[in-house]
Amino acid sequence: MSWLLGSSPSTAPAASPIAQQQKQHTTANTVDSLYDAAGVDDESIDILDIQEDKLSSIEGSQSIIPSRDWRDDLCYGTGSVYGLSLVAGSTYGFLESFGKIQPGASFKLQLNTILNNVTKRGPFIGNHAGILAMNYNFINCGLDYYRNKHDDYNSLAAGALTGALFKCTKGAKPMLYASGLCTVGAGVWCGFKRVYLSTDETGNKKLD
Amino acid sequence: MSSTDHSREPCPLVIVNDLGGAFVMGGLGGVIWHGIKGFRNSPSGERLAGAKLSIKTRAPVSGGNFGMWGGLFSGFDCAVKGVRKREDIWNGIIAGFFTGGTLAIRGGWRSIRNGAITCGILIGCIEGVGLLIQRANTQVPVAPAMPGDQPLTA
Repeated sequence: MSWLLGSSPSTAPAASPIAQQQKQHTTANTVDSLYDAAGVDDESIDILDIQEDKLSSIEGSQSIIPSRDWRDDLCYGTGSVYGLSLVAGSTYGFLESFGKIQPGASFKLQLNTILNNVTKRGPFIGNHAGILAMNYNFINCGLDYYRNKHDDYNSLAAGALTGALFKCTKGAKPMLYASGLCTVGAGVWCGFKRVYLSTDETGNKKLD
Repeated sequence: MSSTDHSREPCPLVIVNDLGGAFVMGGLGGVIWHGIKGFRNSPSGERLAGAKLSIKTRAPVSGGNFGMWGGLFSGFDCAVKGVRKREDIWNGIIAGFFTGGTLAIRGGWRSIRNGAITCGILIGCIEGVGLLIQRANTQVPVAPAMPGDQPLTA
């Protein structure tokens, strides 16, 4: 998505002298350490654009799908939620349509009844869940970059704000309900991520 | 969606990425588009309320439409890549053909054919323009003169 959203300037971590020394003694296995070993200032000189491929460096931001930056987070989060809820909504519509088929209807009529129900429920649920996921990811990534780390409080706050924003035209009470629901959803997602990542044997990107 | 972009994910994952990217694009575009449309189509005094209502009802739909298109296109692109085992502009054109056909699938054969051909031609134009831009930006390497071309002077 870099052609659409532009590329973000890479943020340099504040390096203390001790950290600098430690960095020089580690083996050169990342792009940054290679640049340091070669004495290249990668802020001013752009040797190759291989920095595009590095994974996100924000603390605790590693998730199930490896992502490079907030654009990947946004696209993957929105895409997966939209796709899954579209499938779920379509299934709901499909199951619901069995009760609506007229007895003695022709095959074409039955098929159209089912398809109408699927296309009524699926996109409706998918679109709204997708919008929620989009807002959640925007707020979450904003909070990540503001605090420069990612933890569960971030996700919960993003969930609360998303729910409030989603119902912000309906008054205070629906806003509160939606906010609570979205916070619970974000909490469930955090718990799931925690369980999934801590059981991952091969990955070294574990949450504590 | 260019096939020569190496900074992208391997195939099954890129469908999710494109689905989300297209949804975000459609959603944000829908907010702007339907905001202006609702603002202009409302009577004065209710312009802001009209814009709000229009955004609320239409932006998710436009996001969903864009997302569906992007996800289907990406999926067909991956499938075509897997079948043909090569990467060129025909991947996009074939994927666009199938996408257009799939999106018009409820309108009968006539509308499937029209949608598929329109979408294929559209993607063909986009890919063609991309190819032209790429060609204009690439410097053709000039071969150095062969030593045998000129008589050696002692």
